[in-house]
Amino acid sequence: MKEKLFKDILPKVSKPVRYMGNELNIIRKDWNKAKTRMAFAFPDVYEVGMSHVGGKILYGLINETTEHLLERTFAPWPDMEEVMRRENIPLYTLESYRPLRDFDVIGFTMQYELSITNILNMLDLAGIPLWSNERDEKSPLVVVGGPVVFNPEPYADFIDVFLIGDGEELLPEFLDAVYATKDLPKAERLLKMTKIEGVYVPRFYEVEYNEDGTVKKMFPKIPGVPEKVKKRVVKDLDSAYFPEKPILPYMNVVHDRAVLEVMRGCQRGCRFCHAGIVYRPVRERSIDTLKKQAEAQIKNTGYEEISLTSLSTLDYSGVEKLARELVAEFGARGIGISLPSLRVDAFSIDLANEIQKVRKTTLTLAPEAGTQRMRNIINKNVTEEQLLEAVEAAFKSGWNSVKLYFMIGLPEETEEDLDGIIELLDKVRNIGRRYSKRAVEVRASLACFVPKAHTPFQWQPQASITELEAKIKYMNSKKGKNIKLSFHDSRTSYLEGVMSRGNRKLSKAIYSAYKKGCKFDGWTEYFHFDRWMEAFRETDIDPDFWTVRKPSYEEIFPWDFIDIGVTKAFLKSENEKALKEMTTPDCRHDKCTGCGICPRFGVDIDIREGDKNAHSCRI
Amino acid sequence: MRIRAEYSVSPDLRFLSNLEMMRLIERSLRRASLPYALTEGFNPHIKLSLGTVLPVGVWGTREYFDLDLNEDMKPEEFMYRINQVLPEGVRVNEAQVIPEKAASLMKIINSASYTFALNEPEEKIVRLKEEILKAESLKIKSRGKKKNVEKDLKAGIYKAEVKYEKGQSYITFFVSVGEPVNVRYDELNDLLLRYGISEEKITDICRNGNYIKEGEFFYTPLEKVI
Repeated sequence: MKEKLFKDILPKVSKPVRYMGNELNIIRKDWNKAKTRMAFAFPDVYEVGMSHVGGKILYGLINETTEHLLERTFAPWPDMEEVMRRENIPLYTLESYRPLRDFDVIGFTMQYELSITNILNMLDLAGIPLWSNERDEKSPLVVVGGPVVFNPEPYADFIDVFLIGDGEELLPEFLDAVYATKDLPKAERLLKMTKIEGVYVPRFYEVEYNEDGTVKKMFPKIPGVPEKVKKRVVKDLDSAYFPEKPILPYMNVVHDRAVLEVMRGCQRGCRFCHAGIVYRPVRERSIDTLKKQAEAQIKNTGYEEISLTSLSTLDYSGVEKLARELVAEFGARGIGISLPSLRVDAFSIDLANEIQKVRKTTLTLAPEAGTQRMRNIINKNVTEEQLLEAVEAAFKSGWNSVKLYFMIGLPEETEEDLDGIIELLDKVRNIGRRYSKRAVEVRASLACFVPKAHTPFQWQPQASITELEAKIKYMNSKKGKNIKLSFHDSRTSYLEGVMSRGNRKLSKAIYSAYKKGCKFDGWTEYFHFDRWMEAFRETDIDPDFWTVRKPSYEEIFPWDFIDIGVTKAFLKSENEKALKEMTTPDCRHDKCTGCGICPRFGVDIDIREGDKNAHSCRI
Repeated sequence: MRIRAEYSVSPDLRFLSNLEMMRLIERSLRRASLPYALTEGFNPHIKLSLGTVLPVGVWGTREYFDLDLNEDMKPEEFMYRINQVLPEGVRVNEAQVIPEKAASLMKIINSASYTFALNEPEEKIVRLKEEILKAESLKIKSRGKKKNVEKDLKAGIYKAEVKYEKGQSYITFFVSVGEPVNVRYDELNDLLLRYGISEEKITDICRNGNYIKEGEFFYTPLEKVI
């Protein structure tokens, strides 16, 4: 296999390094001694997949600390896929070059709704039937985890097992169970696995629908299968496993640097944000732990940069101290420290200035909305004053280019909110002109709001493509000089909306779209919206049902059976407050908001570096 | 202090680009905590320069880099420490201290040798070698910047050698780099095809030398430091 690959296949494709393996710190465990053998499959190309922190964690965790084996595979780019199909090369892993069908488990991580077509394509390339009920006893178990599967239903008919929540808690336990049940028939093994918290096996559930197409009832078909599936949570992130010897890719991957996950979760409570709800509560690592991890990673990789990552790194209680100490430790060796996202305030600019000694390229900030009214609706607790202060601090200290993230199509949006974005951009540019000698560059990236499951806005309709296009046209006609607007594709956003609140019936349409050649849907050059619409028509599915329709509070959602800790009552009250333009403060700095996660899951927000204002959550 | 190192790249790593090889070496230097020198300025980088680009898909037995160090160090110690951390497939096989004013590898290397492994009988390849060396002109379509422009390799092919081992023939071409004509490995490959070798008979391509050619002599960059 390897010989054929290196001789006949790789010379014919672009970027062969993607398919080569042999990287430094690769772990090749003894196949015959391993208990459960799992292929960790990332449904996008190598350079995207190798940038994913969760994958690095699971790779090290399983291979270093358990008797199981975990090898990697990625989606081949279409040129490679073509050669593989022509030459009958099945999808293989980069460690042993074995075909995926030799493994006990194929585990995908779903970071993005539209990766589903790549998952199907990868199964097909592996020679594995796509529908769960068409796979026999010998076929590997097909498993999916990641943020998307907090609403697993659209993919339920393809997948044997969903793993919900933090993987470092759940995956080792799941692989133990796979090994312990290896001599049982598949149906029995799967039944046993439902006893593990966080495991969802869709075949054991029945869904009944109302006449209007909404869910009437979802219930386990077999006694003993839990009605609700609780997500798994790492309670103590500080002592949780984190890789000190990550694989060092040869090719320039998207995030090509050492990574420190300073915390998990975010408690700011932006009402559109999925990650901010499903990854509660906030859990931090201590500076001591992070410094040890940095030292080990640099020693084992030789990276030239360390990135402090999380959903909102500037909110880490020890960010300033940690950043300074890392600069002191690594600066002289030519190793830089970077902050991937900045908070909208002057403090974060100052800190960035202090630690990022590199050339000042583009400053990126995310005010998300253009008026205070709209920022209150979405609970983005940032004022225009803070934003302008941040921008002023940036231009003053030599930044010359600013990129701002906004959303359009938000609930209750009016023309004034769009005007607000345009005016804000003009103000930013004017500040820039005051401080910069060179021409300033102000760019805005505008995403289309997609209502997500488990968020306060799950009850909000999504703007139609026609509405979004009208808004885009309007904004383009109003935009000021020297300002660049770039909009996310409204059709891609529409499809994301379908998936994010969809139910089981969608699988037919997904299959049909895949059969029509849809794959790499997240890549503009491969996105074929017309094929998707055709697939919906042919399978008699109205995608508007999940997007522009406004659900009622009484509606049972397809994802309601997944318990993320935060209660539906809290989400509802947040949605109500949004309509009244009322904000909810961050519980780290104010009183408990009553979201439910801490008392219901027996967890607590975990602040490591003595933020005195932080309250613990007690009701 | 400046060190010049000769290293090899195994077939398993032949798909690495020049940039990727550069990063590989830089990161190895950091892992080994060698006293590498950094450039000044906002974006400091290691003072490392590689010889001529090893093409993607070709492995190499004798490639070169120059590196500046902040501290004096015996070449043997340098070799030992970097070989401890280099990934499987890259090895520094020789190193020596060179004067800081020595001309760069890119400036002095003017010749290289490529070996093609062929699934053909020895006699056939010996005949092929003679035909190629005797030819008045060796015209092929350029694979370089001026794609598809006709190009004559004749002046750039200095010599060729044939060897037979374990059922395989090997032909090695010593060619010019840059002037008078830049001869690329894929152009040599095309030349073999033009002379009747079919693609599937070419089983391996390797670059096994980079030289400073003076008259009839091919010196390695370690033998000839100018």
